[in-house]
Amino acid sequence: MERLQNKVVLVTGAARGIGRACAVRAAEEGADMVLLDAPGTLPTVGYELGTGDQLDDTAELCRKHGVAALTLFADVRSSAAVRAAVDQAADRFGRIDVLINNAGIGASAGKAAHEMTEEEWQILLDVNLSGSWRMLQAVVPLMLALQGGSIVNVASTAGLVGYRHFAGYVASKHGLIGLTKSAALDYGPFSVRVNALCPGPVRDDPRMDGGLGGVVANSLGISLDEQDAVDLESVALKTLVNPADIADAAVWLAGDESRKVTGTVIAVDAGFTAK
Amino acid sequence: MTDVSDANGATRRRGIRELLSFPEFQLDPARACHALLRRLPDGMRAASAQAALVEAAGRLGLPPAAARLWDESLPVASGTAQADRYKEREVRRPLLRPDHPLRVTFAEYADGVCDLVLVAHRRVLAPCDLDAIASLLSGPANSSAYAAGAAGMGPGGRSGPPVPLSDSPGPAAPVPAPGSAAPVRPDWGLGDPRCSGTEISVPLTVRTPAEPFVPLLAAATALVLSRYEGGGHPELTVLVEDETGHDTVTWLNPPITRDTRTADLVADCRRALEECQDRPAPHANTHIGLIVTRHRPDDAYVPCLAPAFPLTVEWTVDGADTLRGLLRCDAGAVGPQIAEGFAQHLARAVESLSAGTCEAGDLELLDAAETRAVLAAGRTEAAPAHDAAPIHDHFRRIARARPDAPALSSGDHTLTYRELDARSDAAAAGLRAFGVRTGDLVGVCLERGPDLVVVLLGVLKAGAAYVPMDPEYPADRLAYTVRDAGIRLVVTDSSQFPDQGARRIHPDGLATTPRHDAGSPDARPAGPDDPAYVIYTSGSTGRPKGVVVPHRNVAALLAATTPALGLGPDDVWTLFHSTAFDFSVWEIWGCLLTGGHLIVVPHFTTRTPEDFYDLLLERQVTLLSQTPSAFSALREVDTRRRSQLALRLVVFGGEPVDLRGLDDWLRRHSGCRLINMFGITETTVHATQQPLTRAGIAAGSRSVGRALPGWSLSVRDEAGRVQPFGAVGEIYVSGAGVADGYLNRDDLTAERFVTDPATGLRTYRSGDLGRMHPDGQIDHLGRLDDQVKVRGYRIELGEIRSVLTQDVAVEDAAVVRETDGPLDAAAVRLAAYLVLSKGGSVDAVRARASRILPAHMIPAFFAAVPALPLTLNGKVDAAGLRALVAAQTATAPHSAHTTPDETGTAVALTAFRHVLGEQVGPDDDFFDLGGNSMLAVQVVGALRRVGLAEVTVRQLYSHPTAAEIARWAEQATAHAAG
Repeated sequence: MERLQNKVVLVTGAARGIGRACAVRAAEEGADMVLLDAPGTLPTVGYELGTGDQLDDTAELCRKHGVAALTLFADVRSSAAVRAAVDQAADRFGRIDVLINNAGIGASAGKAAHEMTEEEWQILLDVNLSGSWRMLQAVVPLMLALQGGSIVNVASTAGLVGYRHFAGYVASKHGLIGLTKSAALDYGPFSVRVNALCPGPVRDDPRMDGGLGGVVANSLGISLDEQDAVDLESVALKTLVNPADIADAAVWLAGDESRKVTGTVIAVDAGFTAK
Repeated sequence: MTDVSDANGATRRRGIRELLSFPEFQLDPARACHALLRRLPDGMRAASAQAALVEAAGRLGLPPAAARLWDESLPVASGTAQADRYKEREVRRPLLRPDHPLRVTFAEYADGVCDLVLVAHRRVLAPCDLDAIASLLSGPANSSAYAAGAAGMGPGGRSGPPVPLSDSPGPAAPVPAPGSAAPVRPDWGLGDPRCSGTEISVPLTVRTPAEPFVPLLAAATALVLSRYEGGGHPELTVLVEDETGHDTVTWLNPPITRDTRTADLVADCRRALEECQDRPAPHANTHIGLIVTRHRPDDAYVPCLAPAFPLTVEWTVDGADTLRGLLRCDAGAVGPQIAEGFAQHLARAVESLSAGTCEAGDLELLDAAETRAVLAAGRTEAAPAHDAAPIHDHFRRIARARPDAPALSSGDHTLTYRELDARSDAAAAGLRAFGVRTGDLVGVCLERGPDLVVVLLGVLKAGAAYVPMDPEYPADRLAYTVRDAGIRLVVTDSSQFPDQGARRIHPDGLATTPRHDAGSPDARPAGPDDPAYVIYTSGSTGRPKGVVVPHRNVAALLAATTPALGLGPDDVWTLFHSTAFDFSVWEIWGCLLTGGHLIVVPHFTTRTPEDFYDLLLERQVTLLSQTPSAFSALREVDTRRRSQLALRLVVFGGEPVDLRGLDDWLRRHSGCRLINMFGITETTVHATQQPLTRAGIAAGSRSVGRALPGWSLSVRDEAGRVQPFGAVGEIYVSGAGVADGYLNRDDLTAERFVTDPATGLRTYRSGDLGRMHPDGQIDHLGRLDDQVKVRGYRIELGEIRSVLTQDVAVEDAAVVRETDGPLDAAAVRLAAYLVLSKGGSVDAVRARASRILPAHMIPAFFAAVPALPLTLNGKVDAAGLRALVAAQTATAPHSAHTTPDETGTAVALTAFRHVLGEQVGPDDDFFDLGGNSMLAVQVVGALRRVGLAEVTVRQLYSHPTAAEIARWAEQATAHAAG
């Protein structure tokens, strides 16, 4: 199980949740890791972002697999911060083979599109869409020099269909899929692949320390159990998606087994979008 | 003292700096970085190492980024597989940024053990600098080593002033333009571009030679390389870490011939290494690099993170009895078997040079086992127990099995197998009546038609061998053949056939001869070992010689090809080639001995691709044999016409295949296979087969495939020894196809048909250059005769041609060796003849070629020609090229000044001039202007475009001036109107 041996993988939003699951899974496959997060709070975002301790926990879980792990703080809303982080990663490892663009924020606005404030709208796009683009902008030159690489954009089923009262989030994730497809065309001639993953209803996994399910339930004014029940009803497989399920798909897209896959969108949603 | 050390260091670093400035090192920094790994003493902490690093970086004048200690704490124990893999990765991580010359990593494992890993740009920091930094960081326990200054970085001193990595601040990482980073690969490496990025390493162990052994190692490497490259000046770079830990770089290109004394070679290398330090190769990096490193008992040192040269040989000097080396290469440049082989051969060369002096040509690269393995790869076993019956017996059996099937068609006339059998029986009887006996030679000089095949078969049935002569050949050549072969009887319908004392018989005369003599008792039937035909080949030097081929060879050829090509009664073949060209042997007997239907292609149709295309359609031809030159004209017609052909197989022969356009053909004709067959008259038409696939075409493969079943091929050096895989040499052919020899030329036969000491088999030395892949595939690299030496550099014309034809402005090209005097090597020059596409210019093509080719490979002479003239056999005609250009550039012919007075003539003249040049006058004869069949096609095309729509090649041949063809066209038009 060393499918990413000799590769260097950078994961954003790596402190917890899907980001941590992807990082640990990639480390298990032998990749040296660059783990990025931005502790703190964001205006209009009603929950705390991943902490430094959580990021260190992810790094420790990775190192258990005998790989190096470099932890970095960077807010993807800042080009300068992103660039500095990627430079450090390049200094440390001499290469970046895989970028897992996972950092994102989300919760229901609890209101219709026109009722959102300018600030609420802007921050969703700035983190989820522009942040992913800034990471790509900083990492792609390294991949071009290597004449190869894989970028995995963690979008959402909200990149495929609409959700009531989620206009900003849905717009940002649709945008991310557009970025994925265009970038795939831009970098295809250089063997740099760009793909998107669309997680469906994800159940919080205590080991991954994430809590977005709870946050969403909260924003909708229901309990997490009620939320899970609604989600279960909506999916074909009658089981919810775990962060580890996303990580498996991310590792496949990161590695050479998916060498002929680019510009594609893979929904890992237990069949949510099948109907 | 410090100052002196600094100055030395700076001077010394100039060589490594120049070397590592070559683009491949900029694009792939792993090749330009080195690394040192040191196990730290117990109790070392990252914090103290960090403090020491800040101090070291300050002393060395390194930028702040280099002063950062990357602290990695791994929850796995040292010595586990995981920890070892981690270390391995850590010493292979290149530095990317130009302003970041050093990375220091401090790894602490779960059991408290710590490793220090230093990675640095070798351009900036020498090996002694790494030693010094490591010692400083290893703490007080090791500081004495550093304080002693042995590594050149004493307190306050270092190996030299800092050398900037880049002369100008560049981007964080170089971004290659698409296709700009085509890696340099040695031709003999046989690397697989798909495996680029995968490293191959092969350990080497030799007895340590006597001091100084670096010159001996360099000489051994040069010697092996010269064998792989087939002689000349092998080039290599030698990077030596001297006893003080500084780098010296030397570029060597010693001349090596077979009789170079190895002691002289070692002395030459020693002198160069002593006198020419710090001088890398002048223009581009070399294919091979030798890196000599001091042994570090406590550390692991990696002199380059990725192989610095396409083939990198690292030696570590440790003073022990055995010298350990590592051959490293990228699998994209050098394949695994080649690397293994090269390592073995290098070790053998080192041992041999250590043992004492000899001549370079005496070195045995391969041992007996490897020789056997290479020979086995080049051999394909024959199908078990094929029928070795004589051709005519084989034919009779087919004729009895399918008497009413069509055997031969020419025009409206078709013979069934029964009819062909009967008519050839009659011809045989006629020949016997004229006194022909078993083992005799009978000349056959007939146009392609039904009579031709009847007579050939008749000759064989009479027990004789046929000597085909093309009626288009000049009378002198025909006369020469008759005399040289001692022919007493020639079957011909030409009244022009020269009288050389041989009896001339018209084919009609054979059939009507009384049969009283047919059953004479001496009629011992010809057996499989009797000659079937004698074909004269001209070759590039000397007078033509007759190749004697026995019946059994033809049987073996068919046994070898019938199953693989699926030859059978459903096939419709063409007889396109002159019987004087052995491609016709394949066409005639390949068809008639497998029950196929042979369509005779009239002479003018073979010269008119449009008409030939019509014939293929009309006759539903399934199996076509073509020279690549002729096929390219046909392919062009196909591009325009896009008809659905019945072809299932095209067999290429006679010339190196031209891959351009073949992919289009395969896409248009998905049911048609293309097979390239390399062969020689002396080995019975074909010797190898290679299906041309779209993948192979895309990869630009030069492979002619593996030996046919029953044939064996190998590649030999000048002394006839088996060359290793990948190495260039002369192709030797043995097995079922080897001919009996040259008729009446025992000397030449003994020279070319040899008993191979390696196998004991009768073997033909082809005079063709090639190399063998480990799977037995042969790359054909042209004729030995075509090899040109310029200032000692060996040049292959095919390589130059392929550069020219890659130019979009060039539709086709030929590169030939020209000389003013046959023996004057200095007068040898390269000439390039170009068929330009619309708007192309010779100057632009020359300019592009000059950018790509090394100076010694740029042709001295470039000329545009309307088409490449072909010989009768359909191959490019080098002499014709010269004549053509001479005709174009000659002073204006006598009638050039004559003003054309008739409108028709003026129009025709524009067409003539378009193809043949502006100096052409209305009464200049097409043939006097160097006209040939290919040019005729061009002129006819041009005439049609200017409105003389009815003109054909045949009419041009009959009316070879602009004025005459214009008159003919007027009459034809008037006739049509009337």
